This record gives sequence, C-alpha cells and structure tokens, in this order.
Amino acid sequence: MSAASLPAGLVIPPDLAIAPPTQDILSNVTPKRGFVGYLRRYPMIGFGGGLLLVMLFVAIFAPFLGTKDPTALAPALRTREPGAEFWFGSDMLGRDVYSRVLYGARVSLLVGFSVAFFASAIGLTIGLISGFNRFADSIIMRVMDGMMSIPPILLAIALMALTRGSVQNVILAITIAEVPRVSRLVRGVVLSLREQPYVEAAVASGTRTPTIIFRHILPNTLAPLTVQATFICAAAMITEAILSFIGAGTPPTIPSWGNIMAEGRALWQVKPYIVFFPAIFLSITVLAVNLLGDGLRDSIDPRLATKL
Amino acid sequence: MWAYIVRRVLATIPVMAVVALFVFSLLYLAPGDPAAVIAGDQATPDDVERIRASLGLDRPYLVRFGAWVWDILRGDLGTSIFTNLPVSHMIAQRIEPTLSLMIVTLILAVSIAVPMGVVAAWKQGTTIDRLVMAFAVLGFSVPVFVVGYVLAYIFALELDWLPVQGYTPFSQGFFPWMENLILPSVALGGVYIALIARITRATMLEVLSQDYIRTARAKGAGQRSILFLHALKNAAVPIVTIIGIGIALLIGGAVVTESVFAIPGLGRLTVDAILRRDYPVIQGVVLLFSFVYVLVNLVIDLLYTLFDPRIRY
Amino acid sequence: MERRSFLQAGAIAAAATTGLAGPALSQGAAARTLRFVPQANLANFDPVWGTQFVVRNAAMLVWDTLYGIDSSFTPRRQMIESEEVSSDGLTWNFQLREGLRWHDNEPVRAQDCVVSLTRWMVRDGMGQMLRAITDELVQTGDRTFRWRLRQPYPKMLLALGKNNTPIAFMMPERVARTDPFQQIAEFVGSGPMRFNRSEWVPGARATWSRFEPYVARSEPASWLSGGKRMLVDRVEWIIQPDPATASAALQSGEVDWWEQPLNDLVPVMRRNRNIRLDVADPLGNVGCLRFNHLHPPFNDPRARQAIAWMVNQPDFMRSVVGSDDSLWQRMGGFFTPGTPNYTEAGGEILTAPRDAAMARRLLQESGYSGQPVTMLVAQDLAPLSAMGQVANAMMRSIGLNVDFVATDWGTVGARRASREPRERGGWNIFFTWFAGADCTNPASYLGLRAHGDQAWFGWPNDPAVEAGRDKWFAATTPVEEKAACEEINRAATVSMPFAPTGFYKGYQAWRSNVTGITSGPLPWFWGVSKS
Repeated sequence: MSAASLPAGLVIPPDLAIAPPTQDILSNVTPKRGFVGYLRRYPMIGFGGGLLLVMLFVAIFAPFLGTKDPTALAPALRTREPGAEFWFGSDMLGRDVYSRVLYGARVSLLVGFSVAFFASAIGLTIGLISGFNRFADSIIMRVMDGMMSIPPILLAIALMALTRGSVQNVILAITIAEVPRVSRLVRGVVLSLREQPYVEAAVASGTRTPTIIFRHILPNTLAPLTVQATFICAAAMITEAILSFIGAGTPPTIPSWGNIMAEGRALWQVKPYIVFFPAIFLSITVLAVNLLGDGLRDSIDPRLATKL
Repeated sequence: MWAYIVRRVLATIPVMAVVALFVFSLLYLAPGDPAAVIAGDQATPDDVERIRASLGLDRPYLVRFGAWVWDILRGDLGTSIFTNLPVSHMIAQRIEPTLSLMIVTLILAVSIAVPMGVVAAWKQGTTIDRLVMAFAVLGFSVPVFVVGYVLAYIFALELDWLPVQGYTPFSQGFFPWMENLILPSVALGGVYIALIARITRATMLEVLSQDYIRTARAKGAGQRSILFLHALKNAAVPIVTIIGIGIALLIGGAVVTESVFAIPGLGRLTVDAILRRDYPVIQGVVLLFSFVYVLVNLVIDLLYTLFDPRIRY
Repeated sequence: MERRSFLQAGAIAAAATTGLAGPALSQGAAARTLRFVPQANLANFDPVWGTQFVVRNAAMLVWDTLYGIDSSFTPRRQMIESEEVSSDGLTWNFQLREGLRWHDNEPVRAQDCVVSLTRWMVRDGMGQMLRAITDELVQTGDRTFRWRLRQPYPKMLLALGKNNTPIAFMMPERVARTDPFQQIAEFVGSGPMRFNRSEWVPGARATWSRFEPYVARSEPASWLSGGKRMLVDRVEWIIQPDPATASAALQSGEVDWWEQPLNDLVPVMRRNRNIRLDVADPLGNVGCLRFNHLHPPFNDPRARQAIAWMVNQPDFMRSVVGSDDSLWQRMGGFFTPGTPNYTEAGGEILTAPRDAAMARRLLQESGYSGQPVTMLVAQDLAPLSAMGQVANAMMRSIGLNVDFVATDWGTVGARRASREPRERGGWNIFFTWFAGADCTNPASYLGLRAHGDQAWFGWPNDPAVEAGRDKWFAATTPVEEKAACEEINRAATVSMPFAPTGFYKGYQAWRSNVTGITSGPLPWFWGVSKS
C-alpha cells in the first residue's frame, strides 16, 4: 500500500511502519463463472456436446440439406461413385447414399436416445426398489443376473423373428439388455447412500420412505445415472449397427447408419463409400457422446471414472 | 471361504432357471417352428403336422418345458432338429475356436490396455495422455466389422502377411493357430482395449494420489516399483471387474467377428440356429453362455480376495 | 502356393476345424484337395428329407442315381445296365450294372433300390404321381427289379434321372427304411466320394474323400450322366458367411472354387490373373413375385394383372444381379428362356411397355379400396430383399397400401404356409426364385401348378393351366409338348399364378490352377483337377 492509496481522513501514528509497495506475485484470478466458464473447465463437454448438436441439426433438418427421398430406388443408376449427381455415391439399388446417411441420423439418434432414456428410467425404478426392499432385492438381482447373461444379439434376432424388423423392436431389445447394468448401478448408489448420516437422521426423525427417496436418494443417483446414460446411448448406436449387420435391425425402407453399412458391406472392396460414409458419421457421433459423458463425469466427480 | 463358494454356486441355480424359462418362453412364442421348413414345398398340411408331432412340437408348453429341464438335469442337451446330431456334440465342435478367440483377445487387450492406462495416468495432462485416451475412445466408436474388413484388406489381401479367414486348430501347431487368430482378435479387442485402458487410467490416478504412494516415494522407492508393486495391485479390483463385464460384450462381438472371418465358432452356430429355429441348439447354447457368464463372475469375485486382502467372504 | 508369411510352419491353414483333430495335410496332398465355397449353409444332408439345392449338390457326391439327364435333358443310364418296358407301357423291368458297391463295400442290390424308390416317392412330385399308379415294385433278382403300373407313365426315366429336388438317389436298404419325414442317420452311398462324417462341422465345413472302388461308366460325363471320374482325392466345402471375405479368400488362394460370387465383386476378380470366371448355369433363375390367391385383393385376377403390368423387369433384375446387363433377360412367359419350351404366347402383359394407367384401372375394377397388402420380405437373402424393396416402391406408386414385413427366410417359410387372411397372420405377397432348370417344362414346375388347395403356397386355381399340363404329360412328340406349353402360357398370363420378375444368371469363379469346371444346374465335381 503506498501512502497515496490510504483512505482519506485516516490518522496515522508517527512510528507506524508502512511496507513499501510490492507488485502482485499472483495475478488476479478471474473466476470462470456461468455456463461458459463451466464449458471452459471441462472442454470435453463442449466439444462432445457441440458435435452432438451438429448431428441433431443434421437429423432434424435433413429434408432441407439437399437430400432426395432416401427410399427412391433407381436400379439403373446403381453403385455410382460419389460425384455431382450423388454426393456420397449411390448404393446397390440406386438410392442416394448422402440422403440415406442424413436421414439415417434420425434413426440412429432416436435409437440411442430412446434406449438411454428407457433403460435409465426402468433401471432407476428397479434399482430404487431393489435398494430399499431386501426381499425384492434378492429376487430382482437374480433376475437381472439372468438377463445380463443372455447376449442381446440373440434377443434382438428372436424379437425380430417374433414380429418383424422395426425400430421399436431394436430399441426394445437393446433396452432389455442395458437395464440390468443400470439397475445395478442405482442399487449400489442407494445402498451406499442409506448409510449416510443425513439419511439415518431422516429415518430416525420418522420421515416416510417415499419422501426419503425423492428428497435424499434420487438427486444423488441422477448424476451417475446421467453419465451412464450417455455411455448407454453410445453403446446402443453401435449395437444397432451390429444388429443390422446380422440382419435383425431396422428394415431397409427405414435407413439407419447400421443398415446402410450392412447392405453395402459385401461391396466394400469395390465401392467402399457405401460403408465408409455411414461409418464416419456413426463414429463421430459415438465419439461425441462418449466425450460428453466423460466430461460430465469429470465435472460431477472424477472418482466416478473408476466405476463407470 | 468354502462356504461362500458353495453358496454362490447354489445361487447360480435360480439364475439359470430364470434364463432357461425366459429363453424357452421366447422360442415358444416365436412363430414359424421348423416343421414347415422341414416339410418342404411339396408337403400337405397333414405332413407338416406329422413332422411337428415327431419333433414333439405339438405338446403343451409345460410338458415341453418340463421334458427339456428333465433332460438337462440328466446331462442331455437334446438333438439338433436340422443335423440330427446331439447338441452337446455340436457345441463341443465349436467351443475351441470361440474359446481361442476370446482368450487371445483377452490377453491381447489386457496386455495392451493396462500399460496404456498406466502410462496415461503417469503422464497425466500431457500429450501422451490425451493421445492414449483419444485412441481409446476411438476403440469403441468404430463398429467391429468395419475394423475387421479394413484389417483383413490391409494385412491379408494387400500385404499377404496373414490369412484372410478360417481357423486352424491348436493341435496343428501354435503358429498356424495364432496366424488365424491375430486379425480377428485385434478387431474384436478394440472395444475391450478402450474400456480397460480408461478404467485403468482412472483407477491409477485415484490410487496415485493416495497417501501410501507418497510414503513409498518418500521412502525412496523407484518409479517402476511404485507403479507396479503398490499402485497397480490396488487398482486391480476395478480392472478385474471391467474384464468380467467385458466378457458379455465379447460374446456379442464374437458373433460378428466369426461371420467376417469365417471362424466356425459358437456365435455363428447360435445365429444360424436362431434363423432356422433349431430350438434344441438355441436353448443349449444360451444356457451354456449363461452358465459361463455366471461362472466368470464367481471367479472374478474370488480373484478380488487375491488382490485386496480386505475383501473376505 | 502363393507366398505366405514366415510364420507358416508347413501345415496348410485348414479353413475350419473340428473339435477333434483334423488331418494335417502335406504340400502334395493339398494339390489333390479341392476347396469349394457353396452357395449356402450345409446343415443337414438327407437329400430326400431336405430339398434345398445345397443339400442336393452335396448329395451328388455321395449317392448315385439309376438314370441321369445329360445337358440336353435326355435321361441316360447310370446305375442301370438295361431296362425293358412292356408294349402296353405298364411294366418296367430294370437291371443294375455289375460291380456297384456301397461305401461300406457291400454290393448294391435291387432290394436297396426298391426301398430307396419307395422312400423317394413319398416326397417327390413325379414320385407321388407314380405312387398313385403303382401296382407293384419288387426285386426279381439280385440285380433286377420290376415296376408295374396301372397306367402308362412315359416320363418314367425322366423322373428317375432328373436333377430337380428331390433326386431319386439310391441308398442301402437299412438307410432307406427311414421315415421320409425324418432324417437318415448314415451317409452311405454308392457314389464317387465317401463322406467323412468325423470331420463334419455342420454349418462350417464338410469333406469327402474319393471312393476308390467306384466304377465310372465309360461314356464321357455330361451333367448327371456318363462317367463320374474324380480327379482329386478330397473335396472340402468351406461355408463362408460373408461374401467380401469369400472374395478375399479366393483372391489369396485360400479357396479354389466359389459357387456363387457376388456379381458386384466380379470385376475385382476379373482383374486378378489367377482367377477365372464363367457363367455358372446357362439355365439361370426365374424371379418370382408370388400372390396369395385365397384372400383379397389378389384373389381377383385383375389385381394380379395390375401388378404384372407394373413389374418392370429391368429394375428387378438390376437390383438382384447388379450392373452387368449380360446376366439377365426379360421374360415374356413362364418357361426358361433359351429352352425349347420357352414361349411368349400371351406375354404382352410382361413385355409391352409398362402401363401404370392400365394397372390403376385394373386395380380399381378389381374392387381394391386401400386395404393393407402384407408383403413378406426376407432380409437375410439379398435377392429377395432387393426384389421386395423394388416391389414396394412400384406398388406404392399405383396406390397400394403396402405393409412391408421385414423378417427372415425361416419366418417367411413358415408364414407362407398359412391360409389365414392377413389380419390373422397370413400374407398377400412373398418373393422367391426358381432354378431355371426346374422351369423348363411343367413336370417339376412348382410355381405353375394351379390345382387350388393342393398347389404350392399361394394356391392358384386355374383349370386351363392344369389342362395344359395334363396335355404335356400325355404328349409323345416335342411338337405336342411345345403346343401344350403354349397353351399353359396363354392361360397363365391371364390368371397370373405369380408374376415373373425376370430371368437372371450368375457367375462361378475358380483359381486358374483348377481345370475341368463346366457349367450346369449344379456344380459338377467329377472331371475337375488341380495342378
């Protein structure tokens, strides 16, 4: 503090020593506040979320991005290389790969988000019940173990054979496969939370169980659940591609990245673009979702990285 | 400890029962039993009924389920409708390729991913860390079959270093066996490597910040001994867990890999059986998968006691 | 051998395995092994129980026939040394050749043939006709047997020597006693190769070894007739589920012969100096869009004709065959193009320029008012998936409300047998193809039978077509046969039992060090050698 910076009107005793001015060693810390600050601290959220938003944009506005009808066949124009007429080339039935890839974003994203949402919702419910009710827990966990041991691919094929190939069946099959893991996660959180002092206090003071669940337990499960949901979304999109590869995915009249690749896979040595373009889009989207999940997890609690 | 093991083994029974019930019911509900396919184009509806009766498909649900369970308990997995061979024989023929694929993939993935994760944790925040993690995330962003095709094209077709497809049994020599498994393992292992590397890195980071590591360093322990002796051992539990979870993933991925590389394994057997409605085979294989999965979980839980003496059953 | 990596330890990489040890082959033996990629998965093996083409093709190696047609469809003697038919055409006496042996070294006896024929007659179309008129079929000596009928059957030798499934293979008596609706347990025959049961991995790999005591006929081989001389010691079938991998395997020399290469991959293989290509079967295939004649809208012939007016065969064919226009041909009738019975009589509906207005009018006249039309499309068979999508677009364009059911062939196979209306699990349309060899005449032409309830799935009912068929069976000269076929064609183009989507062929591909591969309705393994 220099003499000039003292407030006016202050009486200074004559033998008081005043330190000489020193420059600041530490520069001012501008706290990163707000949403933008949040993004700057966890860049992966911004990066992943941004890419995802781009994909969503492409999916929603597909009809306006220079696309034709994705199911319009023209066998006379089949397997043309990418060029002026077909930006990403044409497939084995003469359909425009560019249009199919853009419209395919809708299905793939729908599958990813739906599975993430439903698996989380159902898994949450089951996990909560299981965590609170001892008796239900033992039964439920055995059932979940059993379901986890059935490969989802088999489930999907069986479902498809049961009715028909459709987006709903794909979502259903993958959801059933993911629910056990979510319920296990929620159950784990619930069990550990029940030991917390504030929950014990709530119980001791006579709070009813539903209130305990909604006020104390639920908010703490939402964070890891959200992170897990992003990973489920990514896994679901890849699983959809694998199901289409085997022939148990969405019907060919509804393009998805998975079934565009599946249909074109036999030709990939001669016409690689049919597999290449949807693969790129799928990889980018899955990457984006994974990065988003990583970022969210790091922002909530980096120690979750050992569990998720 | 033994009591725990016995309890766990007994607990698998209800799990298997759930699986058996679920699979059987699903198949029962699925339309299109094999009788019509077998009867062929020239058959009359009476012929189809005859075939259905001879396969026992006209009996009510509980009778069929009961008969199947009774057979299983006596060790008889049934006979394939389409090949007339015992299901156990068909499974025995196909176990070696799938098992080989899974083991090689596992060893490959763990031996690549764990060092990757350790290095990334050690060099946290540097370019190496970011590169390793980016590579890892890429591992499960690309579908297995795309990776498989590209690998086969480059290494088998263009460079001719490895065979394009097929499987050589171990009895015909280690190197031929390995040759056929390298490309499929790498393709299948991508996802696994990514998962294990990430968990390893995260766990190591947490462990490395613990007090006992600081103590070890203060006592003058070298870099390597800190990493491997102290840190890794403590990180082992989550890593082993993820390996267990990954086995279920492997089974799914194996189906695709076996199709791309023409490996005559259980994955392909199951898909073919489902598409043909060869019920005994489907039921037998799914039961086997479940049993293996449950067993693996048990082994992993037991392995915990090795790594973490605090865990006792 | 091609250059291989330094890791190779002398053993040839066998393409698949058994849980039991397979034979380790030396370099020399490899040159005598033919590795073949079949068109489909080979699970079961009984050629009477399972009627798929792949079963028949494999069975040809193990079992032999009494007669066999040559490339002009004329039945020639194979296991038979001589036959005699009585002047009234009712009694046939057959004598077997000498020296025929089963693979377990027992001699072939007439009783074996009698029992084999009895089993075959239950499952085969022409066999069922014979069964209905058979008075007696007995052995009359060690190598002779007699067949007495109640009516003459001029096509007897064709029935015994035809290539359409199920073929009349001869099996040992104990094997042929199996119920025709159950599988045989042993694969013992008198054919040129012995099946290696212990090496069989169903769905992955099957191998056969040459049967040394087989006595081939002296005439040159032509299709199922003549001397079946095996010039390789072993034949291995390696199932390839992925066409891209199969193509790579052929290019790298891991397999020798690919039965049905994907047409889009043909240009790649053409560029490879070590691969040869040729049309596999000049008789090709006939694409089929099959109607359900029991329920609306296709119970009315006008609705079926509307579809026929819309079927643009070039579109369907290109979707199935690819960009090579030399592989397909428009069909103006129902019989195989390029064969004597092919006729375009009445075929304007198939060949004239496509007329959407006419189609819409016919559809309206038939009373169609927008009800859903259930179309079964098998996703796991590429040609059917392609045809289904082309048909979907085409039908929507004339206002049909198509219910596109994407499923697998197993489900289609089962669901097409349902005679219920579509709301109760039935169907209106499904797709398939017929082998051109089966469509050369009405004898084994399943799709063309129109006797209502007894007909093939779809159950067309047209007495005019049946009358024509009866005329063909009674015909004694080629001129009469052709006239009968024209009559059938004229009737069928009006009643449309199914809509042909076009005639198409495919290639087969093999390594240049393999010689002796010929074309035909099935792959012939005799006369093929490897250097």
